[in-house]
Amino acid sequence: MEKFRVESLNFFYGRVAALKDISLSVQERQITALIGPSGCGKSTFLRCLNRMNDTIRGTRVQGKIFLDGQDIYKSGINVVELRQRVGMVFQRPNPFPQSIWDNVAFGPRVLGLDKHFHLPEIIENSLRGAALWEEVKDRLKQDALSLSLGQQQRLCIARTIAVRPEIILMDEPCSALDPIATLQIEELMQSLKKDYTLVIVTHNMQQAARVSDWTGFFWMGELVEFDVTEKIFTRPAQQLTEDYITGRAG
Amino acid sequence: MDSRFHQELEQLRVTILKMANLTEKAVENAFRALWERDVQLADAIIARDHEIDQLEMEIDRIILRLLALDQPMARDLRFLVGCMRISSDLERIADQAVSIAHRARYLSTRPALPKDPALRDLTETSLDMLHVTLSCFANLNVDQAMDVCLMDDAVDELNLLTLKNLMDYMIHEAPAIERGVQAIITARCMERVADHCTNIAESVVFIVRGVNIKHHCEPFQ
Repeated sequence: MEKFRVESLNFFYGRVAALKDISLSVQERQITALIGPSGCGKSTFLRCLNRMNDTIRGTRVQGKIFLDGQDIYKSGINVVELRQRVGMVFQRPNPFPQSIWDNVAFGPRVLGLDKHFHLPEIIENSLRGAALWEEVKDRLKQDALSLSLGQQQRLCIARTIAVRPEIILMDEPCSALDPIATLQIEELMQSLKKDYTLVIVTHNMQQAARVSDWTGFFWMGELVEFDVTEKIFTRPAQQLTEDYITGRAG
Repeated sequence: MDSRFHQELEQLRVTILKMANLTEKAVENAFRALWERDVQLADAIIARDHEIDQLEMEIDRIILRLLALDQPMARDLRFLVGCMRISSDLERIADQAVSIAHRARYLSTRPALPKDPALRDLTETSLDMLHVTLSCFANLNVDQAMDVCLMDDAVDELNLLTLKNLMDYMIHEAPAIERGVQAIITARCMERVADHCTNIAESVVFIVRGVNIKHHCEPFQ
């Protein structure tokens, strides 16, 4: 089932068009990977999906993005609520300089979820969902910055899912991690897929091939090809896609 | 500038062409040894088969290393998988050449069987097929690959006709049974050469188009 539908999306930094006429669908409870060289627009596109680009001065959006059929750029949309539904995990783990507990509790407290739900339960479920509970359950009051980078990134995922999003956007979530921590995050993505829709930006094509169901290849602000991952990496339809993924372009 | 990986792919292609060249020579010589009753030539084919075996092992090593270290995608991945299949088919074609050489050795020391036009046609058609097959790999030419696939039916028919002719002959000439059986095995080897040629042609289509036409060799868009 279609979660996001993007129609003829253009995005501008000032006069510079960073995204040109992008149209694609993101399927519910599937992993969609966005690949392409640096500066091709994939991260910009990702940030359009929860209007993170709104915070950048001088930017402009044209076209439509529908989330469950509702245009997220329509006037009157509650952006805070949108970002609660569409969470984000960044390239470098960015836990708050607080305890593990407080990091996960932060979102639910801000949104007032702790008034309706039992906070310890939210914390435990979120940490379990991020495959971190067993490693930290005995030291929840410990400083989050004392965790390894891989654990910090999983903590950030736990913090994201604590506010019960429907979609998780991940912008190069493993680029700062070692191979073991990367593998843990990739396995985590597979388990998250059961409950969430994931969209990831990655420079690592092997990672896109390993984890995703759908792959979009961006090149100079355009979406060159979007298809099921197996097809993109074994017999892409576009020569430019083939040249890029075989290292002959970009 | 080509990357190190793409230079290694080219090196792999050259190594397979070398193996293909040796295999082609082995088959040509096996057929010549058979028809010219040349025992020395047959012995030489048997003696040199290990060179082709060594090349197959070298190609396996190169492919395994490139798969593990470079994690190729798309056309490069298809090329490596295709090359792995093709080198295996070439090695088996060379084994058929060795088998034909053994039959040629035996038949050369016995009275000649009557000339069978079907066996002669089978020899020429399967050799033609091998030439076209190797050319289609060298140039990654899908049209030639499709020609090879379509030639296989003719080879199958010639093999059956040869079998029938030899059986008819053996029914009337009991002392010729042993030679007849050897000739039937020879025809079967030729037919197997053609089968492996078809496999190679299918691998070429897979490399170029990413389409698997195994077991249903039909023209496609």
